[in-house]
Amino acid sequence: MAMSKLKLKGVNIVETFAEAFPMVGTRIVITASTPAWALTAARTMTGFATSVIACGAEAGIERKLSPKETPDGRPGIAVLLFAMDTDKLQRQLRNRVGQCVLTSPGSACFSGLDGEKSLKLGSSLRFFGDGWQVSKVINGRRYWRIPVMDGEFVCEEKTGLTKKAVGGGNLLVLGKSHQAVLAACERAVKAIDDVPGAITPFPGGIVRSGSKVGSKYKGQIASTNDAYCPTLKGAVKTELPPEIEAVLEIVIDGLTAADVAAAMRAGIHAIAAGGAKQGVTHISAGNYGGNLGPHHFHLKEIIA
Amino acid sequence: MSALTLELKKRGAERLDLSPLVPLNLVGMTPKDIQAIPIGTTRERTTVGDVFKIKGNEAHTLRLVGTDSSCDRIGRALTEGEILVDGDAGAYVGAGMSGGKIKVKGNAGASTGGSMIGGEIEIGGDSGERTGGVADGESLGMRGGRIVVCGNVGDVVGHRMRRGTIIVGGNAGDYAGGWMIAGTIMIDGKVGRLAGYGLRRGTLILAKQPRQLLPTFAESGKIDFNYLRLLGRQLDKDGLVSKLPFRARRLMGDMAVLGKGEMLILA
Repeated sequence: MAMSKLKLKGVNIVETFAEAFPMVGTRIVITASTPAWALTAARTMTGFATSVIACGAEAGIERKLSPKETPDGRPGIAVLLFAMDTDKLQRQLRNRVGQCVLTSPGSACFSGLDGEKSLKLGSSLRFFGDGWQVSKVINGRRYWRIPVMDGEFVCEEKTGLTKKAVGGGNLLVLGKSHQAVLAACERAVKAIDDVPGAITPFPGGIVRSGSKVGSKYKGQIASTNDAYCPTLKGAVKTELPPEIEAVLEIVIDGLTAADVAAAMRAGIHAIAAGGAKQGVTHISAGNYGGNLGPHHFHLKEIIA
Repeated sequence: MSALTLELKKRGAERLDLSPLVPLNLVGMTPKDIQAIPIGTTRERTTVGDVFKIKGNEAHTLRLVGTDSSCDRIGRALTEGEILVDGDAGAYVGAGMSGGKIKVKGNAGASTGGSMIGGEIEIGGDSGERTGGVADGESLGMRGGRIVVCGNVGDVVGHRMRRGTIIVGGNAGDYAGGWMIAGTIMIDGKVGRLAGYGLRRGTLILAKQPRQLLPTFAESGKIDFNYLRLLGRQLDKDGLVSKLPFRARRLMGDMAVLGKGEMLILA
């Protein structure tokens, strides 16, 4: 592990960087008759979207929206969805909204991003209406009214697309106990929840199975990050000091590099807020030597 | 710099064609040039200078003061800028316009916004027959934009309308939304006979139950329409309608034609 002189409340900030990648992303707004049903639709849509490695997309809830902030004046949720290219994002958006939002009682779905380019939203889902769908234009924006069994599913025709999204911003949290590391990560995820334009797509925002590229097994594109596994300290070229019992990772995707940096900053400060006494010893980040991803988030610069 | 103002100084015997008086044509013209613009409709060769007094020079906003119902084609084919009419207007206000805004304080004649493509028209008083309908030489009615009439509208509002929104604060005559192809018409007052006659697609939003419903409209029950919430929110934001109800009775029709239109009667 790189030597660390920098500390925040006694927690070592390792002099390293998170290596992140360009992605394409979008934001949609889901509304429903109650906040609980908007949340249900959003959670369903963002399920199984932790990593592009096998999920096809990375997605998460950006934030809750009050009725004043949504197009139809009902409670809503802003959802961010990311993929590696536009075609994949389009496919994921259509399938996820079609299967998880259209199906959710009382839901409606709107664009949450005004991008230069756009993705089809209602314009592909409208065919579910089997000819009974109705298009309405309000203030220059087209909406589709699709008849469903509980009334109508209202869905905006398209949503914006950004090609400036960044995926894979990350923080590695090292500590003397699993409990301490988990509590620190929970604080970080809560803090990142308040950062606009960023999500933490893994379960509860936290990853326990950080991966490295490749494997000894043919066809396995990613495998366990052995350098950070506490049980392998004696057998591999470990990155862990002897006293470390657990490492957890927070992966961050954002609509821009600035959003990812802001989320990492909020996360670091929240992790360190408990101080070293609570058992967190190091905050680090994962990278591939800087040769794969164009975005390098140096922890030292992030907290400066 | 003040808005270019044309004040009617005398009322001629003939109807006037004010279609040349749109901001884009007038920008950069001297008062003398403007005075020479022909606006007559007979052999008399009436010009702007004969009937209007000119004040101001900022032509992006044009004010017409003291006009009456003989002043036709105000803002015809307007593309940008604003025309404010402090008086009444004749037929074809904003017909064929594609952008900009026209505001008439008084009443307007027939075919207000006929075959318009975009932009906004606001009539403070009443508007004549075929508001948002088919303009001369056209085959379709309004194809975009918005018309707001604070008073009443005549017969066949939205005749062969294809897209856009018409909001009527008062009553509508017979055949409201007649032969409409698509778009939205909202009427706060009463409607005359045969509303929605020949409606193919499109939405007629009626605040009051019509006295007579066409038998070719099929009852589809009452529900809460999220679409009305969306529309209501936008109209509220634009200061046009506050608290539009979102519960409505839906009738589908006109089943004598395509039948994919609807009448939403607000609960």
